[in-house]
Amino acid sequence: MDPVSLLLVVALSVLSTLLYIFIGILPGTDETATMAPIALTLLLAGMDPMLVLVWFIASIAAFKMADSIPVALAGIPGGVMAVPQVPDALLAKEQGLADTVLRKGIASSVVGQFVAVVVSLAFSYYLMPAGDWLRATDVVLGVKVARWFWLVLVGTVVLAVTSRSKFVALISIPAVALVFQGLRAVYGKSVSISFFLGITIGPMIFELLSILHKELRNSYARRGPKEVRLLKVGKISLNPLKILTKEELAHSTIWSAVTSVLATVMSPVGLTTLIGDLLRESKRDKVRGAVLAYTVRDAIKNATYIGGTLIPLLVIGVPTGPMAAGPAAPFFNKYEHLGMTARDFIVTHYDYLTITAMVLLSSAIAFLVAYPLLVKYSRAITLAVFRRVPAEALYGLFIAIVLMLSYYDAKIAGIFGTLVISLVSGALWRLGVSLGVMFMTLVAAPTLVSLLMALPV
Amino acid sequence: MGNEEYYELYGEYVSLKELGVATLISSVAAMVFFLAPQVASLIGVQTSGLSITLGAIGATIGFVISTFIIKVKRVVSEV
Repeated sequence: MDPVSLLLVVALSVLSTLLYIFIGILPGTDETATMAPIALTLLLAGMDPMLVLVWFIASIAAFKMADSIPVALAGIPGGVMAVPQVPDALLAKEQGLADTVLRKGIASSVVGQFVAVVVSLAFSYYLMPAGDWLRATDVVLGVKVARWFWLVLVGTVVLAVTSRSKFVALISIPAVALVFQGLRAVYGKSVSISFFLGITIGPMIFELLSILHKELRNSYARRGPKEVRLLKVGKISLNPLKILTKEELAHSTIWSAVTSVLATVMSPVGLTTLIGDLLRESKRDKVRGAVLAYTVRDAIKNATYIGGTLIPLLVIGVPTGPMAAGPAAPFFNKYEHLGMTARDFIVTHYDYLTITAMVLLSSAIAFLVAYPLLVKYSRAITLAVFRRVPAEALYGLFIAIVLMLSYYDAKIAGIFGTLVISLVSGALWRLGVSLGVMFMTLVAAPTLVSLLMALPV
Repeated sequence: MGNEEYYELYGEYVSLKELGVATLISSVAAMVFFLAPQVASLIGVQTSGLSITLGAIGATIGFVISTFIIKVKRVVSEV
């Protein structure tokens, strides 16, 4: 790489880190809705996909480190991934351990990201030959089926049976697939950007439309304003290794390695919840269990995002898990100016060593910027964000981005198509189906619907 | 700040009217910027491929404007 590109890599990593610290701390910022549109914008603007990957990796580092800060300080999650950390943080807070969990979370984020980067890159390197096998097709019921489809299908079913409402989740898979394929047939093209944004904002749109209903409205009414109690924090050491105990470091390392690979087909939120719960239950002392669960969850958040992005991107070439099908989806899209998907561009134009160096470099830069900043100023930034940014402005921004991308996909019809999807997604979410099931169904839909139509009965 | 009535939307307190205003500002700004290259091409200036980028910039400008005109519904107490 020439010096100019290298400078660009550094600049993009720093910029992305600063932006996503802000987004990470901001409450109510959904990962897919904030990471995917920006990556997509950069790709559509003609930026080299490798540079967009650099941007994306730095944004994972910063976002997943920052989103637990409002959890530790005020019990308010900064993103969907930080929601499982709330109960443990509240318990820690009662015991006066808010700043303990705050710094442990920040430190274990660093561990999670680097362990996952190393494990995912090594795993991908050895698994790359399997990519060709996975992309090959077999004929089933007269339908050409790529082998990775079965991986996606199994992942979707596993995710469905771990949803709060297993039955609804399972029967929703073919039904939602039909909605996607129906709309694609009407649009006359294989749209996916506005679909996954529709899924993402589904819960919010569903709540918003419920508020418009005269009777349903009452359960949402609140006497304002909302009171937020922000805790004071003491001085925190700049050395991350001093912050974690040996046990926390060991658990963070092992679980980051395991979950980064599992995230190829499994849901990051699901894994974060599952492993954290297991660790909490393993401790007899409730407070120690909560602190351990909170800490390791912070590592798993980074690890699953990294693994869930890199392994499908480098090995398989199709989004096989909820992370790749959600926040990282723009990398699997085809772009006219590239003549291929952004992922294919990266693996055909750059060798493995360059990709490895870029991913490591952007993670390192992200932490060099984010770590000292968050250790020193996390409270000040949180205070400023809570006092300055109204939720309405943020929600308005989301809706505007979704409207624009829906219009881009299929003009005015696209806007109503997205509304259909967000209503379905919101209703299913209400009924206890995790959004990951719908992201995965979106990937499986073309083959699934073809198979469904080819069934002899 | 008194005892005004809000709605809890996705974990935050919002005023429906102000949410409408913010959405309108960001959406209009996004679409104006999004459609700008098309308008430019009508008068002979070629700026293809930048629609989404410009639209995202427009929406963000709308967001910034909204943060200034809409009141924050949180009271932060430091303990």
